[in-house]
Amino acid sequence: MNDVAGGPVWPVAGGKHPRDNGLAVRIEGARLAYGPLQLFDSLSLALEPGRITCLLGPSGVGKSSLLRLIAGLAPQGADGRVLASDNRPLAGRLAWMDQRDLLLPWASALENVLLGARLRGETPDRERACALLDAVGLGDVIGARPDTLSGGMRSRVALARTLFEDRPVVLMDEPFAGLDAIVRHRLQELAARLLAGRTVLLVTHDPLEALRLGDRILVMSGRPVTIQEIQPPLGGVPRPVDAPDLAEAHARLLAALSLAAGEI
Amino acid sequence: MGLGRLLGAAAPVIVGVFFVAGWEALVRIGQIPVYILPGPILIAQTLVADWGTLWPSLVVTLKITFAALGVATVGGVALALLFASSRWVERALFPYAVILQVTPLVAIAPLLLIYITDVNVALLVCAWIVAFFPVLSNTTLGLRSADPGLLELFRLYGAGPWSTLFLLRLPSALPYFLGGLRIAGGLALIGAVVAEFTAGTGGTASGLAFRILEAGYRLNIPRMFAALFLISGAGIAIFAGLGLVSRLVLGRWHDSAIDRDA
Repeated sequence: MNDVAGGPVWPVAGGKHPRDNGLAVRIEGARLAYGPLQLFDSLSLALEPGRITCLLGPSGVGKSSLLRLIAGLAPQGADGRVLASDNRPLAGRLAWMDQRDLLLPWASALENVLLGARLRGETPDRERACALLDAVGLGDVIGARPDTLSGGMRSRVALARTLFEDRPVVLMDEPFAGLDAIVRHRLQELAARLLAGRTVLLVTHDPLEALRLGDRILVMSGRPVTIQEIQPPLGGVPRPVDAPDLAEAHARLLAALSLAAGEI
Repeated sequence: MGLGRLLGAAAPVIVGVFFVAGWEALVRIGQIPVYILPGPILIAQTLVADWGTLWPSLVVTLKITFAALGVATVGGVALALLFASSRWVERALFPYAVILQVTPLVAIAPLLLIYITDVNVALLVCAWIVAFFPVLSNTTLGLRSADPGLLELFRLYGAGPWSTLFLLRLPSALPYFLGGLRIAGGLALIGAVVAEFTAGTGGTASGLAFRILEAGYRLNIPRMFAALFLISGAGIAIFAGLGLVSRLVLGRWHDSAIDRDA
């Protein structure tokens, strides 16, 4: 599936069209330069449908830039083709979760979840928003303003908002950074459960997060960037931290990451 | 803590009491004539005795002040929206807004009084000139200061320019706008008073500045002080009132409205 001269050919699982079990996304010929610094040069990346792909790499290697390129938020001078497996544009079909929760400070948790619908002038589905807030464990604070919520709760509101968008593709830029270990652990579990079936690209700097959540684990390194795939531990996500081969995969991933850090 | 806060609130009151008492003592002990420096008690008596003259003048001045503030608010916000919608418009017009701001009002007022035949309109324009700039510059800054992360999120979630304006840019600009409004309130009063002075007794208006001039010509110094007291009082009330509006509107979501000591 790497050669796409005559248009992308996608693996079709069980005779069903990929749209039925997720949307595959592929970025080709990505180019990005900051002055003389060549970050990407004909970089390609394929996201498998309905899977969580974790993207790691040293700071400044271009993880967020790649994510933004896919989202269509690329800076001037960036280039690259983003293709969806159904050959329709990706715009309007992806949800975004940022490192910062990006909640409107003047709106309640519920209003924040409903934001997308309001922005598009749709009739907001309050019931579903409440159900999602319930699912992330915030059923009893739906009317609370963000400043009255803890960091972990705000992240959960942001997660509920991302899920409310109900998009086949979800891009997450270090969504759980800045949270303490226990809160992060719980949120990872919640996110993996609720994001099942969506095509997710998760940028993280936490190797353990990638090992728990990644169906695929990719490490970016060098200039221009090359992407190396790391064999993830066995089993479906979210993986328990005491999964038998997790320690071994951890070691592999750390080795790859420290090698990548040396190349910058 | 509680005692400290009480002292903090009492401190300016204590200073004020000492100042007024010292003033009265100075006037009495020094036997200073009324036409040079009246004591605070006499000024208070004059305020009560001349209330029939001073109150209508205060109303005239306040009418001009609030009319100017209203026009400045509407005009400032409208122009800020125009500036925020196009860098090009901002570049073309902003220097002129600055020129209007930095040119002393007392220097423009005589010209405006010549060209604008209706004195009330001329006074309004003078007060507007000084009041509108803080609203314009603060609101423009506020409209531009919307979180770039949120702007991108809005774009990704399919927001059009209008929903971005109403649901993100305007709420983000609100604290800035209210800060500008607070400055503009005081400036509108100053603008109105300065313009009245420039219009002088020749004008048909009868605001507080006119009363001060008139009392000055008649060497009615206590009334000058009483009118001055009213102007200061009005300025403080406007500032405090707009501060209250700001706290009520911003509620608890904005940092500046949250009392850190509480």
